[in-house]
Amino acid sequence: MIQFADAFAWLVDPANWPGPNGITARILEHLWYCLLALVLALVIAMPAGLYIGHTGKGRALAIGLTGALRALPSLGLLTLLAVTMSLGLRLAIVPSTIVLAILAIPPLLAAAYSGVEAVDPDVVDGARASGLNEWQIVGRVEVPLAAPLLVGGLRSAVLQVIATATLSAFLGLGGLGRFILDGQAVADYTRMLGGAILVIALALILDGGILLLQRWLVPSGVSIALGTGRLEGR
Amino acid sequence: MIRFDHVHKEYPDGTIAVDDFTLEVPSHEVVVLLGSSGCGKTTLMRMVNRMVDPSSGSVSIDGDDVAHSDPVKLRRSIGYVMQSGGLLPHRTVVDNIATVPLLLGATRRSAHARASELLDLVGLEQSVAKRYPSQLSGGQRQRIGVARALASDPNILLMDEPFGAVDPVVRAELQRELLHLQNELAKTILFVTHDVDEAFLLGQQVLVLRTGAEVAQHGSPANILLDPADDFVANFIGGPRRHLRTEMRDGRHIVVDAAGHVTGVLQDDRGAAG
Ligand SMILES: Nc1ncnc2c1ncn2[C@@H]1O[C@H](COP(=O)(O)OP(=O)(O)OP(=O)(O)O)[C@@H](O)[C@H]1O
Ligand SMILES: [Mg+2]
Repeated sequence: MIQFADAFAWLVDPANWPGPNGITARILEHLWYCLLALVLALVIAMPAGLYIGHTGKGRALAIGLTGALRALPSLGLLTLLAVTMSLGLRLAIVPSTIVLAILAIPPLLAAAYSGVEAVDPDVVDGARASGLNEWQIVGRVEVPLAAPLLVGGLRSAVLQVIATATLSAFLGLGGLGRFILDGQAVADYTRMLGGAILVIALALILDGGILLLQRWLVPSGVSIALGTGRLEGR
Repeated sequence: MIRFDHVHKEYPDGTIAVDDFTLEVPSHEVVVLLGSSGCGKTTLMRMVNRMVDPSSGSVSIDGDDVAHSDPVKLRRSIGYVMQSGGLLPHRTVVDNIATVPLLLGATRRSAHARASELLDLVGLEQSVAKRYPSQLSGGQRQRIGVARALASDPNILLMDEPFGAVDPVVRAELQRELLHLQNELAKTILFVTHDVDEAFLLGQQVLVLRTGAEVAQHGSPANILLDPADDFVANFIGGPRRHLRTEMRDGRHIVVDAAGHVTGVLQDDRGAAG
């Protein structure tokens, strides 16, 4: 317990926050890596998931692929990519972003296709019969009605990526993993613990943030349509 | 005018929903497809707006084969009241009604103005405008379905058991309103039902269908009642239930069916107006 006290003391010490190796900079780096990876994952997983959900094609492939992606050990993959990619070690952000994106893709993909599949077929049929084209059906009917599940997928992707972005430090990148890795190198357990607490806090704060954003992301008509409370995840 | 020309539909699983169907629905008339569950009514109807494409044969509107038209454009030009409602649950009532006008490029303002006109037309209070479909009663939802189908003032209206999900009182009211609307609007209406009374009330022509959308009889309601083509038709339209005679009871004429069940009271000439 004394270590927790030390770690908190380290956290609240104003001297540890500023500067290029300070907590502020590390948090920003951490968020930056996560953002890159999430954007990459969204760009891949959303269109693919919406396509699968809308057309019903490629579902088995997606399930197999996401299962396989989930089984990949992140640290092993990170090392492999860093060593084998020509840019791997010089531009460590590339393998780091790939590994984190691979982690974020399965929950986002699953949320997208299962969310769209869960939309009442009669509603889609009615929309099509009214003369919405396929893009309009996806954009105006399926995505809004899948929004609660999409937000759920985003939440689990964010949690995983925030936690795993600590690994980027292994490639000499920054981020909160630095405190853990550097602390360990010199047996500075206070710093390690402080870093770990920061990762957890960041994850919780972002999760809470998304939960609040859900209010705004999920149209009120959708909550009413699905019979869910405004803040309730599904 | 809608024309079905030797239409055949086999679904991928091998079900033959429509075998060989030919029909002309004259403009401004109500033609009713009457038949029991699974006989292919919905399949026939959905061929008109290309929600289903025939396996062979053709459907044409005013002489133009619908197969050559763009399905999205075609659907926007035809009103369709779905068996299941099919409203957008996450859109308000006005937005649901305004769907097609908005798709056709109307401004939000004019589409919403049109939507509130339609609320009046289908007999709903303006106060439901901002509600969501889940906040309406079944009868209100069906009216919204009709309003949505009428929103862009289409010439053709496809109505698939539009009043199936409501109680008899509301159904009778909706039927009356539809007749009233049709007097005003004179649309070409293809109406599907398995309710014999509804078919005879609404249809200028009625088709009694068997499995595979085989036409058992095609004629006016009076025609079918007076002269059922065969036992199937006679049974379907009620058989002995419709063989009525009158009896005197307590000095008044009552109407009884073939089995002797009382079904009504004959009004004398003085009361006939009631
Ligand atoms: N998408 C489909 N795939 C395979 N078979 C279908 C499909 N749609 C309908 N059928 C079958 O085709 C036949 C006719 O169906 P249809 O929906 O046209 O009947 P219906 O007369 O409208 O019945 P109901 O009164 O119950 O609505 C039925 O046997 C049905 O099971
Ligand atoms: Mg049907």
